[in-house]
Amino acid sequence: MELNQYQKDIFEKQKPVIETYGKKTWGWTIFFLLWILVGGYALYLQVADGHIVTGMRDNVVWGLYIANFIFFIGISYAGAVISGLLHILHVEWRKPIIRIAEIITVIATMIGPVFILLCVGRLDRLHHLFLYPRLQSPITWDVLAITTYFTGSVIFLYLALIKDFAIYRDAKLNIPKWKQKLYSILAIGYRGTPSQKRHIKISTDLMAIMIIPLAIIVHSVLSWIFGMTLRPGWHSSIFGPYFVLAAIYSGTGVLIMAMWVYRKMYKLNSLLTDQHFVYLGYIMMVLGAAYGYFTFSEYLTAWFGSAKWDNEVIEKLFTLEYYGGWFLFTNIAGILLPILVVAIPFTRKPGLITIASFFMVIALWVKRYLIIVPTLESTLLPMQDTRPEYIKYSATWVEWALTFAGIATFFLLFTLLSKFVTIIPISEFGDKEKTAAGTTASVKEN
Amino acid sequence: MLPEKILFMKNILTYTLNKVKAGNLLTYSLVVPLVLLFATGVQAQADSTSPAATEMVAAATSELIAPSLELIPVQKADRTIDCKVKMQAKVKGVFYKLPLLKVNIVHVTPAGEMNLGHAITDRNGRAVINVKGDPLVADAEGKVLLKAIYAGNKQMEPADAEVAVKRALLTVNPVVVDSVYTIQARLVDISTGLETPIPEAALGLFVKRSFFPLKIGEGTTDAAGEASIEVPAHLPGDAKHNITLIARLDENELYGNLEAAVEQPWGTTVSDANIIAPRALWSTRPPLWMVITFSILVTIVWGHYIVIIYELIRLRKEEPHNTPEIS
Repeated sequence: MELNQYQKDIFEKQKPVIETYGKKTWGWTIFFLLWILVGGYALYLQVADGHIVTGMRDNVVWGLYIANFIFFIGISYAGAVISGLLHILHVEWRKPIIRIAEIITVIATMIGPVFILLCVGRLDRLHHLFLYPRLQSPITWDVLAITTYFTGSVIFLYLALIKDFAIYRDAKLNIPKWKQKLYSILAIGYRGTPSQKRHIKISTDLMAIMIIPLAIIVHSVLSWIFGMTLRPGWHSSIFGPYFVLAAIYSGTGVLIMAMWVYRKMYKLNSLLTDQHFVYLGYIMMVLGAAYGYFTFSEYLTAWFGSAKWDNEVIEKLFTLEYYGGWFLFTNIAGILLPILVVAIPFTRKPGLITIASFFMVIALWVKRYLIIVPTLESTLLPMQDTRPEYIKYSATWVEWALTFAGIATFFLLFTLLSKFVTIIPISEFGDKEKTAAGTTASVKEN
Repeated sequence: MLPEKILFMKNILTYTLNKVKAGNLLTYSLVVPLVLLFATGVQAQADSTSPAATEMVAAATSELIAPSLELIPVQKADRTIDCKVKMQAKVKGVFYKLPLLKVNIVHVTPAGEMNLGHAITDRNGRAVINVKGDPLVADAEGKVLLKAIYAGNKQMEPADAEVAVKRALLTVNPVVVDSVYTIQARLVDISTGLETPIPEAALGLFVKRSFFPLKIGEGTTDAAGEASIEVPAHLPGDAKHNITLIARLDENELYGNLEAAVEQPWGTTVSDANIIAPRALWSTRPPLWMVITFSILVTIVWGHYIVIIYELIRLRKEEPHNTPEIS
């Protein structure tokens, strides 16, 4: 594999990252593993004692786990949109950030469904979902959609990695033999011939086109699990696009945060520039406005209609004694803050955009919780069992431990992958050469 | 404690092997290592009468649990007695059914106690022991005294329950009177060894259904201890028209519960033929448009994946040799 000067420079900058596994990385790895271990113990308790150790009861049968599931599937949109859409539109500035986006997609799609497994009982019947699927059930659609989406995301990420694997294979890296061998296998004999380039291009173009509708279908199907039930706060025709939009929105936020961390950690300021943050900030602002519009439309319709059951949920969301504070937080931190931070030139800076993204992502997680729990606490029939824990859901430490274990797994897998592949793709810059002024210029690929 | 732990591990392995044989390998290959990992830390139950289920209840309270034991003898038409027991405990206002507990049934006679057998409670805390009624010795009042005993364990106090009933016999005779299906029941006292009719006893007639018997009629015995109860026509039966009719005397002050059952082809047949369900959302067969849309979508997406994999295979085959390394 021949590299141009610009590619060599980028590679040199990132070589130490994949060649070494420093003390700091080990420290973080152990930290994440400890969290996962705590989660493992919580899981053991849940398996041994049953779901009684969670806060879920007869009425509120979904809680933190389902909120986490929607959240993780949501952030997986980062790769689908940034990578897929910007690839189709041939947007040049996408190149340094697509790898991060695609990794987020794959890892988040892996972790999200695990929370479903934590939520359901009788895991011994799990295979029945595949052996006896019921085509009319949104659950079946969801299983198939997520499986297909995950497969597509892995293929998409792999396609983008093949050229880089070939680069790692041909470079004299100071790495163990097994790793060198693995690079060689994963490069599947890519040598950069015109014919091989064409195969990659056809495949990548196909996947870029596929991944966007796939992502939309996945999150629409996810929303229909709620939307197709006749429950207040769920039964809504705009839930599909509302979920899709919220997913892209939170995915963009997580991408911005990941970019900031890597830029800081590996001093990649020249590659992950301020401009990248501003561009993604603009995307986030537009999505934030659209998300705000959907939120307003959804709750205005329910509030204005004043249907008995809808009102009960709306009351809970609008009253400070119930969930009013959190609902306010989701609207301020989830809608207003990102829009204002990006809209005002003075605050349009990487650090502040990242902080706004952080709060927005938290707010959107809370929003998922508010979609699930208040509705389930508003039963259509009078409750038979009126013990406090049956009336009001309160997550237990077991659920929190497994939630943090999920987050820790996300970070751990991200860390491991970033030590295996370069976070900034090398091969993407095959059409660039470094100019005398130190800036880059595009040249035509042969 | 070691043998109990080994027993616990053995039970898990046996259960796993059965599941693997049943084809659940994937699920159990994930779950079992986890269970085994922590199995040594799990306090296995010390005696066979205190299995893991009681720990759940014990966990809810730090004190010894005081279970309630209920004994209901049901005298059958074959002169045997079903001794039905039920064990539960109320902890912090909540009733827990107590499964897997050993309950002994003894017959109390003036000469002492005679063990009739034991049973282990099921998941609903219930167990049934069938004993022969004729060898039981009656007391001066002509009653036989039965006692259920639970010995207790580390978490639970012992419990017992006593019931004294006079021996009686309920028999049923299915007849058709003027084209009306009728059950003629006869109730007699057999505590003295002779058959003495029991008058003025309220009998219920039930038909066996999937979950609980359904009451379909009632009658009162006459001076001869007999009662005739009509059976409604067109009761759903099995493929051979059969229905099971049960005559019962419930919670009688002297005789307790009595029961006699008979199977008769008096029902209407419920077809067991496979009827093809219509295509609908509620049906087992999805609507056709759904199948078509679903198939098209899946084929398109996975078809593309196959094309991409094919492209990658071609890429692999086109690998040239002697290419320079990166310097």
